Amino acid sequence: MSSLDNSKLEGLAQEILSDLVEDACLGLCFDVHRAVKQGYFFLDDTDQESMRDFEIVDQPGLDVFGQVYNQWKNKECVCPNCSRSIAASRFAPHLEKCLGMGRNSSRIANRRIVTGNNTNNKSESDQEDNDDVNDNDWSYGAEKKAKKRKSDKNPNSPRRSKSFKHKSSMMGPRRRMDNQESPRMLMKDEAFPQ
Amino acid sequence: MRAAINQKLIEMGERERLKELLRAKLVECGWKDQLKAQCKDVIREKGLEHVTVEDLVTEVTPKGRALVPDSVKKELLQRIRAFLAQHATL
Repeated sequence: MSSLDNSKLEGLAQEILSDLVEDACLGLCFDVHRAVKQGYFFLDDTDQESMRDFEIVDQPGLDVFGQVYNQWKNKECVCPNCSRSIAASRFAPHLEKCLGMGRNSSRIANRRIVTGNNTNNKSESDQEDNDDVNDNDWSYGAEKKAKKRKSDKNPNSPRRSKSFKHKSSMMGPRRRMDNQESPRMLMKDEAFPQ
Repeated sequence: MRAAINQKLIEMGERERLKELLRAKLVECGWKDQLKAQCKDVIREKGLEHVTVEDLVTEVTPKGRALVPDSVKKELLQRIRAFLAQHATL
């Protein structure tokens, strides 16, 4: 009995598949017919010559347009600032450091200043300050503030003795406040009935 | 029973999904491009201005059925059988 059911089911499945294929064929025919009548069916064909001109290129060392794609690997450029000859792929990072512009160069220079190195890039540090103000990620001023506050909190923070519950609830909002005095005042025992 | 199954197929949205799956697979395997080339032949034969839907359908559909690759058929049948196994009550 089960084999009869199976063959029935199989026949049914084949029928359903046949219907689906027919749907797909009809759909295609309707699309093509509409394209013909609306005039856009042959749009991607042009004359034979143009077709040959723009054919896909399949040779080693070339991309599909026929251009050489590692042409600039070995070229060297002369830096306008220091007049050195730099490899093309290293040119952009070199320019950043050389001219003292760009995000990384300002951070490196700031780091140098902080660690007390004497560099001869004094004039460029003015440019870097402007860069930092416009920098969206972080600005040197805020980092200073954050660093300072961290070092302030550690030695004489009254919070050290407080329970963990208060610490975690108060940490978030206080970060944003400019006045360093007020949070500490709030942490005194009188303010929080326990 | 056939009608009941077909109705279930449609109601549950499975038929639509199967149709989309089939269409995607046929495009992938190049069937659509092959058939479009066939259509171009028919159009050139009958003339761009005078070709009708019936012309296209009668000429192109049998070729379309024959050109469906076996792998695509197999995959669709698998899904259909799975659906029937779940929802066919005998």
